[in-house]
Amino acid sequence: MNPLLAQFLAEAADLLTSVDEGLLQLERDPGDPELVNEVFRAAHTFKGSSGLFDFPELTRLTHAAEDLLDAVRSGRLALDSGMTDDLLAAFDLIRGWLAHVTTHEQLPATAGPAAQSLITKLRGPLGGEQPTPGDTAGAAVPAAVSDQAPEWLDVFDTDWLENTASWLVTTSATMRFARYTPDEGCFFRAEDPLHLVSQVPALAGLGLIQPFEWPPAETYDEYQCLIGFVLATRAAVGELNHLFRYVPDQVEVVELDGAAIRRHLSGEEPPAPPVEAAAQAVVQSQTENLELARDAYAILAAAQRSLTAESPSGARLSSVAHSVAAAAAALGVPAETVEADVEALTARVTTLLAETPVTPEEPPPVAPPPPVERAPADRARTDDPGGQVGTRILKVDQEKVDHLMELVGELNVAKNGLTFLADAAEEEFGSRVLGRRIKDQYSGLHRIAEELQAAVMDVRMLPLSVAFSRFPRLIRDLSRRLDKTVELVTEGDDTMADKDVIEALGDPLVHLVRNSLDHGIETPAERVAAGKAPAARITLTAVADGDAVIVEIADDGRGIDPDKVKRKAYEKGLISEDELEALTETDAVDLIFRPGFSTADQVSDLSGRGVGMDAVRASVEKLGGTVTMRSQPGRGTSTRLRLPLSMAVTQVMVVSVAGQRFGIPVDLVVETVRVPAAEIGRVLHQDVVVLRGEVVPVIDLARVLDMPWTPEPAADQRVLIVSLHGQRVGLLVEQFHREVDVILKPMEGLLAYAGEFSGTALLGDGLVLLVLNMKEVLSLAARTQ
Amino acid sequence: MSDNRPKVLVVDDAATVRMYHTKLLDDAGFEVAEAANGLEAVEAAMSTAFDLFVVDVNMPKMNGYTCVETLRSDTVGTPAPILMISTEDRPGDADRAYAAGANLYLVKPVNAERLARVARMLTSGVAA
Repeated sequence: MNPLLAQFLAEAADLLTSVDEGLLQLERDPGDPELVNEVFRAAHTFKGSSGLFDFPELTRLTHAAEDLLDAVRSGRLALDSGMTDDLLAAFDLIRGWLAHVTTHEQLPATAGPAAQSLITKLRGPLGGEQPTPGDTAGAAVPAAVSDQAPEWLDVFDTDWLENTASWLVTTSATMRFARYTPDEGCFFRAEDPLHLVSQVPALAGLGLIQPFEWPPAETYDEYQCLIGFVLATRAAVGELNHLFRYVPDQVEVVELDGAAIRRHLSGEEPPAPPVEAAAQAVVQSQTENLELARDAYAILAAAQRSLTAESPSGARLSSVAHSVAAAAAALGVPAETVEADVEALTARVTTLLAETPVTPEEPPPVAPPPPVERAPADRARTDDPGGQVGTRILKVDQEKVDHLMELVGELNVAKNGLTFLADAAEEEFGSRVLGRRIKDQYSGLHRIAEELQAAVMDVRMLPLSVAFSRFPRLIRDLSRRLDKTVELVTEGDDTMADKDVIEALGDPLVHLVRNSLDHGIETPAERVAAGKAPAARITLTAVADGDAVIVEIADDGRGIDPDKVKRKAYEKGLISEDELEALTETDAVDLIFRPGFSTADQVSDLSGRGVGMDAVRASVEKLGGTVTMRSQPGRGTSTRLRLPLSMAVTQVMVVSVAGQRFGIPVDLVVETVRVPAAEIGRVLHQDVVVLRGEVVPVIDLARVLDMPWTPEPAADQRVLIVSLHGQRVGLLVEQFHREVDVILKPMEGLLAYAGEFSGTALLGDGLVLLVLNMKEVLSLAARTQ
Repeated sequence: MSDNRPKVLVVDDAATVRMYHTKLLDDAGFEVAEAANGLEAVEAAMSTAFDLFVVDVNMPKMNGYTCVETLRSDTVGTPAPILMISTEDRPGDADRAYAAGANLYLVKPVNAERLARVARMLTSGVAA
C-alpha cells in the first residue's frame, strides 16, 4: 500500500474514534461549544485528508456530516438524537468503507447508493439543499439520460476510457458524462464556467474542448469564451442538473455503463483526429504561462488586499514586499529596489496588476486533486534529522513489545539459574568464595532485570479508558432499544493496566454492563414510581490497588432480590431445600455465579445468550482475578473485578511436600509460620491452629494432592497461611523455599483437566514447577475430608 | 547534510495532508520540516529560519490565523512568505488570512503543480 494511504487509514482510525466519543458526549451535553468544535474539527480534518484520494463518496458524505456539524457549531441548529443517529450512522458507514479500503485500496461498489441516502438525511435538517429527484430547481430538466455514448467522449484518452469501462463493468456501475459548452458571451452574464466545473462533485475526469482553430492573436477577444468542457463524474444526474440549473441549454448529460463505453471505443467511427501535436504543445505552453501569470496575479492581488486592509509594518510589510518582488520576477518584470513603505508598495502593486495579462479576479481551483494513490510510493521523509517537529512518540507494533516481554521473562528465568549455580559452587565444588561472587553477580543482574521488566511493563501499560471507550456507544444503543434512560459515568479512566489485562477485561465488562441494563435497570416509569430519578446511572470505576486494578460496575437499578434468586436456584435444582432456608442474603446473591443460572424470566436478545455470570467469573479468575457482587434491593448492584495489573510475570512462593516443589501465587500468601506439632488441634474433624487468637483451619497439602508424606510428629510443623476470598487457611507443607518470578504457562493437552494446577513454570535449574490453583485445592480438600 | 535547498515548514494537524504537502514540496526541491499545529510551528520558527511556511487554518492548540499572526509579530518576526491552505472557502476567510499576515490563500485540495509553482515563485529570491 502506498504510504500516504496507509497514513490516511491510521489517522482516520483516530479521528473516527474522537468523532464518535464527541458525538456521544454531545448528546448528553448539547450546549458544550468546545465539544462541538472538537467533533467538527475531527470531521473537518478527516474530510480534508480524504480529499487527497479518489474516494468521492467518502468525501461527499463527510462533507455533508461536516456541514451539519458546522450548523450546530454556529448555533443555527440544535443537535437532536435523530441527527446524532444519522451522524453516527454516517461514520459507521465510513468505518466500514475504510476496512474495505484497507484490504482492497478502494471503496466498496455499494458506496454510492449507501452514501446518497445518508447524505439526504444529513442534509435534511439543513433545509435539504441537496437536490432530491423531485427537486424543482431541476424542473427544466436539461439532461437526457441515454445509453448511447456521444462522440465527444473522445476527448478522454482511450486508455482512460478502457480502464473506466472495465471498472464499470466489474462493479456493474454507471458513470455520468457531461458536455458543457458555455455560451461565448457568458462572462457578461456573470457566469463563471470554470467555477461551475470546479464544483462538480465526484469528478472523475475532465477534458477540454478547444476551438477547431484559435483566432489570430490580433483579433483575439479575451472576453469571449471559446472553450467547452467534458466531464466524467460519479455524482448523480440530479446533482448535475441542480448544479447546471441556470445554464440548462449549455449542458448535455448522459449516463453510461461500461458496455456503452466499450461499444463506443470499438465503434466503427475512427477515433476523432486529435488536435495536431504541435498545436497541442503550443496550447500546453500557453497554458503553463497562463497559469504562471495567474499565480503571480493571485499573489499580487493578495498583496493588495493586505496593503489596503490595514497598514502592515515590520515583518508583515517586508513579507509583502518580498512576495510582490517574487511575483514581479515571475512575470518577467525587471526587478526594482523594493521600498519597505506601504505607499510605494501599493503603487507598485497597482501598476503590476494593471500590466498582468490575466483577467480573472480570483483564479479558481483548476483541476481535481491528482490521483495520489497512483503516485510512485516514494520513501517517506522520516529520515530527515533536521527540523523534525512532530511529537516525540514512537508507534510500535504490539508484537514487538510482546516479544520484548517474552525475552525479559526468559532473562528472569535464566537469572534465577545463577542462584542454583551459586549453591552448586559451594556444595559440589566447595568454593564458598566463588559461590559468593556468583551471588553478588546475581544481585546486580537481578536489579537490572527488574528495572528492564518494569520498563517493558510500562510500555505495555494502557489506560483503562481504552477498555471503557466502547461503553458510551454500547449503552446509548442498548438503552434506546430498551427504552430506558441511562447515564454513564466513568471514573479513573487514567488508571493504567497491562494491555493484556485491558484486552481480557473487554468481554466480562460488556457482559456485566449488558446484564445491568437488561435486568438491573428499570424503565423510567418504574423508576419514577419507585421514587427515583427517571434516568438511571451506570458507573464504571477503575482504581489501582497495589499490584492490582479494581474495576467496578455499579448501577442504581432495582438490585437483586435474594429471595427470588434463592427460589430460582431451587427451581433449577442448584440448591437443596436446606440451603434454601439457610443461605444468607450475601450467599444468595452469589448464586448468580453458579453455572446455569439466570434470573430473567424470559431470555432477551441482549443478555441470556447462554453466557452467564459463571462465564464472567471463570474468565476473570483465569486472569488471576476475583469477582465479587454486592446488591441492595431497590438501590442497585455493584460488581467488583479485581485483576492483577499484569499477567506477564507471576511471583510465586515455592514450597515442597514429599520432595516435590509447588508454587503458590504470592498474592495469596499471608505468612509462613512454624508451629509445634502439639499446638495443632482438631475441631470437627478439621485440623486447626490458633494464630493470634484466630482459629485457622489447616490442610495437609500432601494428603489433598495424594502424595506419600507424613509429617514428623515431634518436629515443628511448617504452615503456610494463605488468604482466599477473605478466608484464612493454613497449608501444612514440608519445606519453604524462596519466592521466584515465573512466567506461568497454562496446562495443556491431557493435563488441562487437572484443575488443581493453574499452570506450569520453568525454573532456573530447568525443573518444571507446578503452580497451585488454590481455589480448586481447597474445594478438593473439602471433598477429601 | 549541508543543504542549501530552501527550507519550508508545513503546518497541518492532519498527518495525511502533511505527508502529501511534504512530498509535493520535497519533489519540488524544498527541504521540508513539519509541525502539527500552530504552537509547534511557532516553536520551530524560533529555532530555525524558514524560507516559506505552508499553514493550515483549522488546527487544535493554535489555529492557523493565530499562528500566522504570531509568526509576524515581534516575538518571531519572520519576513518569509506564508502560504495558507484551507478547506474553508467562505468569503472573508482569505481576508482574515491576509490581515493576519499571509501572502497567499489557497483552497484545499491544492493542485500539486500549482503548489509547487507558487512555492517556488514565493521563494524565488532564496538560493536554490
